[in-house]
Amino acid sequence: MASLKRPAMQTLKTRELVIDIPGRASGYPLNLAIESGQIWGVLGPNGAGKTTLLHSLAGLRPPRSGSLCLNDKPANELKRRVLSQQLGLVFQDRQDGFPATVLETALIGRHPWLSPWQMEGADDLAMAERALEALDVLHLKDRLVSTLSGGERQRVAIATLMTQSPHTWLLDEPTNHLDLHHQVAVMKLLTGRAKAGNAIFMCLHDLNLAARWCDHILLMYPNGEACWGLAERMLVPSALERLYNQELQTVEVDGTPFFVPKRG
Amino acid sequence: MIRPIALPLALLALAGVLATVISLGVGSVAIDPMDVLSVFLGEGTDLQRTLVLELRLPRTLSGFATGGLLAVAGALMQVLLRNPLADPYVLGLSGGAAVGALLAMLAGLGGVVVSGSAFAGAMLATLMVFGLAHGTGSWTPSRLLLTGVVVAAGWGAVITLMLAISPARELPGMLYWLMGDVSYARTPWPGLGLLLVVCFIVVPLGRSLNVLARGPMQAAALGISVRPLEWMIYVLASLLTATAVTMAGSIGFVGLVIPHMLRMVLGNDQRLILPACALAGGTLLVLADTLARVVIAPEQLPVGVITALLGVPTFLYLLYRSR
Amino acid sequence: MVKLKGLIAILGWMLIVAPASASRVCATDDLGEKVCLDRPATRIAALSPGATELAWAAGAGDQVVAVVAYSDYPPAAREVTSVGSHTRMDMERLLQLRPDLVIGWVTGNPSEQLATLKKVGIPVFSIEPRSFEAVSHTIERLSVLAGTETEGFAEAEHFRQGIAGLRTQFENADPVSVFYQVWDEPLMTVNGEHLIGEMIQLCGGANVFGHLDRLVPRISAEAVVAADPEAILAGGMGEENRHWLARWQNFPSLTATARDNLFFIPPSLVQRPTPRMLVGTRLFCDKLEVARDRRSDGVHL
Repeated sequence: MASLKRPAMQTLKTRELVIDIPGRASGYPLNLAIESGQIWGVLGPNGAGKTTLLHSLAGLRPPRSGSLCLNDKPANELKRRVLSQQLGLVFQDRQDGFPATVLETALIGRHPWLSPWQMEGADDLAMAERALEALDVLHLKDRLVSTLSGGERQRVAIATLMTQSPHTWLLDEPTNHLDLHHQVAVMKLLTGRAKAGNAIFMCLHDLNLAARWCDHILLMYPNGEACWGLAERMLVPSALERLYNQELQTVEVDGTPFFVPKRG
Repeated sequence: MIRPIALPLALLALAGVLATVISLGVGSVAIDPMDVLSVFLGEGTDLQRTLVLELRLPRTLSGFATGGLLAVAGALMQVLLRNPLADPYVLGLSGGAAVGALLAMLAGLGGVVVSGSAFAGAMLATLMVFGLAHGTGSWTPSRLLLTGVVVAAGWGAVITLMLAISPARELPGMLYWLMGDVSYARTPWPGLGLLLVVCFIVVPLGRSLNVLARGPMQAAALGISVRPLEWMIYVLASLLTATAVTMAGSIGFVGLVIPHMLRMVLGNDQRLILPACALAGGTLLVLADTLARVVIAPEQLPVGVITALLGVPTFLYLLYRSR
Repeated sequence: MVKLKGLIAILGWMLIVAPASASRVCATDDLGEKVCLDRPATRIAALSPGATELAWAAGAGDQVVAVVAYSDYPPAAREVTSVGSHTRMDMERLLQLRPDLVIGWVTGNPSEQLATLKKVGIPVFSIEPRSFEAVSHTIERLSVLAGTETEGFAEAEHFRQGIAGLRTQFENADPVSVFYQVWDEPLMTVNGEHLIGEMIQLCGGANVFGHLDRLVPRISAEAVVAADPEAILAGGMGEENRHWLARWQNFPSLTATARDNLFFIPPSLVQRPTPRMLVGTRLFCDKLEVARDRRSDGVHL
């Protein structure tokens, strides 16, 4: 029952990491420490490099400079398989070249944990089904993914990550395509994982979802600048207005600030 | 992935055995089934022994190996390129093999040299496509497919050129080689051996291929070293194609249609599909070759005609019925 | 005494007959392989229409038990069991006929199938006659293997003499420029090294495409018009199909067309390397003579 086990403490650190955005002259070096129990939200306008950062953190794209450490070990010295037991990523867009069912799709999350000759066993199946259940897509398990709606596919992708059950969850726009109810359900699920000891690091478009659920925020500016820290220190109107080049009005709900664009 | 694997494979193996039995029992010379059996028990007349052991058995085994190799190569290429249209023929491997073989024929060489030259041609085509697709930039499936298609068109032109300038008396041999014929196979053993080895390699590799079918980024995120795996698949598929083409000339269609037919019925778990391709491809070619031998005997048909005539309706029916 | 006489008779019979019936016969084929039979062949499979004709010419027609498609000459050959086309033989049917000699065609039969025959212990004599002399020589060698030397050598010599006679007759004949059309679509001819090229030369013709490199070059109609041959000779699909010549009627400026020197030659008489080539060659030479005659007619016009 790996997914329910409380994960060991783990830190994903970047040292002077500059992501590689083609055409960008320079970037602000990032020194992040993503730790167990934290929920990070990455905010920034289109093209600021949020997705590139996620890919770099997952070790899928080499950074321009700097390094990535998992528990103080350079990530590029780890085997891909070991790394993928620790880090998982939900992509923003997915390709499905060949037809596959929902359950099959969730089950590929077990790949890093199985030896080449091993077949998925009953407990792997149980994990996949539990993840589908948690994302409210278990009833679709025998459907072909290609026949699902965008929101359903998004939830299947998150269920696949849950089946993979890495320590650190990297998610690229996890609430994309989701209706309000499922947006909240997903954010609650992620909060629950963080409480259980996982680290969550996600890009978000919705400022207010970030304000509501994230405890750490990374702001990425289109010119390569970046700043990060505790949510309450980062979510100030002046910084956000500069980030999105949009005037904002602030309202307070339950003691947290919320932001709506100014009219006109 | 969660479907039982043993049952479909057992059924396909049974079909393969049945096809083999039919192929051994049927020919333009009628031999009583009991006599065929007695040949294998070391009895029977000299003629029966020669017909069954020297003609039908090697031909059946060669057919099985060729069909199996082509189907597995096709399935591998489709996963590699994440494109259902991919097969060794589309990518120009068989074109390279054909040019190699025709060059040997043009030089007046025969037999083993033609086979060796075909093999060299297929491997050269592989290196060319891979080298060019890599280029100076990235190596993407669509780039590889496009390179393959263009290179294949180039081979096609070279083949036409060679046919146009070849002495008229060499033409029949060349055309028949291009059509493919199992009866030209010298020995089934290297092909069968390779097929067996590949089945053992692809089972542990199968899950990685399943993940790779989701795209290289997703595969990498799930712990796969994508580039080495892709190279391995490509080289493996080339080796299979080269061996098959070397055995029996260029027989199209099997590599494209068998994997698709199986996917429609069995799903897309490579651990099941790849061994199933080996069995089903072999079965199809053995049956097709049996028909090619007897339909209008003593005239013999090219086996590719039969594979297409059998496969096209079946494929279209399954496609029509599928979700 | 009676017993002794009988024994002597048997011994005597053995002395005379045994060496003959057990005589080993050998011949070297066109691949340079020596083919030896413990006794002359009695069941011959001829794997090309040409081989069938040559076997008959060698006097071994009665021993032929298998032929391939289009083996239509001599007429008796049509009665023999066919084992498929020369490019793709029905091996089972062939083996069922239990041949003790197979006459293969070097460039016509798949070498793989010939190899299989050798593997199961059937002697294969591969032929590829490419000259007049090779036709005679092949007939002689086949008659040795079939034990019919008397007829075979006579037929070979008859062919040799016939060709030699024509050669002498036309040695000093006026050259006639000739275009020989092998095929219509695409337009094909022969060069000087082809057997038909040799035939043209022998009749005092000058092949307008004799200098080309390829044995059977593919050419354009324009090249024919440019070469302006004095005579055009063509085969056709089938023995009486003259429509290949019709296309040249559209070029009245061609010397051959203007003088009506468009001649049909039944293809089976010239395209198979067999003794019938003597008839074909004679026909060829006759046509060129007609062309020469029409020169003087032209002067009168």
